[in-house]
Amino acid sequence: MRKLFTSKWFIVTVAALFILVAIVLGALPGSPVNKLLKPVGAVASPIQRLVRNGGDVFSDFWAAITDGIAIRNENEQLRAEIADLQYQLTQNEEAGIRYEELREAFHIRDTFTNYDIFGASVLSREADEWFSVIRAGLGTEDGIVYEEGQSFAVVDVRMNLIGRVIDINESESNILPLLHEGFVVSGKVNAVNGANVTILGDAGLKRSGLCLVTDIAEGVILEPGTEIVTSGDGGLFPQGIPIGVIETVDYSNPIDVTATLRPYSDIGDLNDIFVMVPYSSNAERIVAAEESEAAATDVSSGSEQSNG
Amino acid sequence: MDKIALTRKIIVYAVYVLFISSIQVSFPQYMAFRGQTGDLMFVFVVLTSYLFGFGDGAIVAVFMGLLRDFFAAPSVTGIAGEATTSVGIGVFVLFMASVLGSSFFTRRMHRNVSFAFLSVLAATLVYKVSGHLIIWIWTSLFSSRPYTLSMSNIILDSILPQLLVNLIATVPCILILKFAGPYRKGINPALIDEKGNEKSSWLTI
Repeated sequence: MRKLFTSKWFIVTVAALFILVAIVLGALPGSPVNKLLKPVGAVASPIQRLVRNGGDVFSDFWAAITDGIAIRNENEQLRAEIADLQYQLTQNEEAGIRYEELREAFHIRDTFTNYDIFGASVLSREADEWFSVIRAGLGTEDGIVYEEGQSFAVVDVRMNLIGRVIDINESESNILPLLHEGFVVSGKVNAVNGANVTILGDAGLKRSGLCLVTDIAEGVILEPGTEIVTSGDGGLFPQGIPIGVIETVDYSNPIDVTATLRPYSDIGDLNDIFVMVPYSSNAERIVAAEESEAAATDVSSGSEQSNG
Repeated sequence: MDKIALTRKIIVYAVYVLFISSIQVSFPQYMAFRGQTGDLMFVFVVLTSYLFGFGDGAIVAVFMGLLRDFFAAPSVTGIAGEATTSVGIGVFVLFMASVLGSSFFTRRMHRNVSFAFLSVLAATLVYKVSGHLIIWIWTSLFSSRPYTLSMSNIILDSILPQLLVNLIATVPCILILKFAGPYRKGINPALIDEKGNEKSSWLTI
């Protein structure tokens, strides 16, 4: 018996089974197994931030040495650009006033007025091909109320879609990037009554930085360069978030036309991201959470008084 | 093993586990080739097992795996089609890597450093092939969408680049384990007599 317990392969089998059971249990909704990583994060997060910041400082220092000439050239370009932008700004101010007048007259709703935008920085990136969920520094402590199964759109500074939040804890969130094969979003051609399509992450196209476009209705003609935005049909994302442009279209199978889409943005290149949280639902949940907390405090203080 | 040696071993492993996993998830873009990232965590675990035995490798693998799951958990598409993060797969993968690392080219090759490269290549190959196979089976059974990677994609864009970058990552990992590792002189004293004492040295295999 002792021989069995000290056998390497017995230990390997038992340990592997134990880990597999933990994986299965962890997959159940609300499983406490997922909380096991909390203490790991308490130790590892500060060290990872330290390493990341150290790397950034080194890379900034290196860039400061090597980029001098490039910065000077860029500076000149930017000056010219600023002059151009100032002219455009004057034009846009005028246009803005006109738009406000029209908005009031036609009761136009701004696209993202119902969304709170939370900024966050990317904390860690993919470890390899399959360990590819990205961590961002935004959690429930920042004012987001999250319920399991919910998901929020993640965009870059230009409001281009880059992924979605699939999990949030107190201080961090996990983001599924747009190119990931598990990603699905309902999109449409960015035109009045534009055709609806489905955009999917695809294992084969991911390496080329492309997504797959399917569910293209019969008779719809997509051309390279056509802009695709979110349709809002899936219910998770608001309508009108730019996703990318069509790169190629495959009409070889007329009943299953597919296309490839090049996203405007790739989360792999970004350090800062923005999460769009529906304002009304978030505010309602915050109020509900505060009320239930207050009620719980009242009950506990009441019971304490009665005990006293 | 005396107390000082044990303390040194624990501290060195803890520092490497924390820093290697931090570097892996903070700067993967600097270690990438054709879409594949040099997997320092995986290589470190395989080499620890290869050079210092299963006992060391398995413990390092479990802690490294926990950090892998915390920093960059894999996303699994569930039966209902929803993508969720999964806890434990990192621990499982790295634990199996430690088993592989400690099982091949070890005793017969006297844990020779040059065969460490072969050990990393073998473990990477097994990891990539079984990973693709598991994903293919999973998508065939539970997903409405097929696994779109062709055999040439898998070989040319996934396995071969990963083998190359992991091979490159082996060099710094061997250097730190041998010359600034958990043991003085880069040798686990418990393994010295493993050849003559095969039956009782299961932990050092």
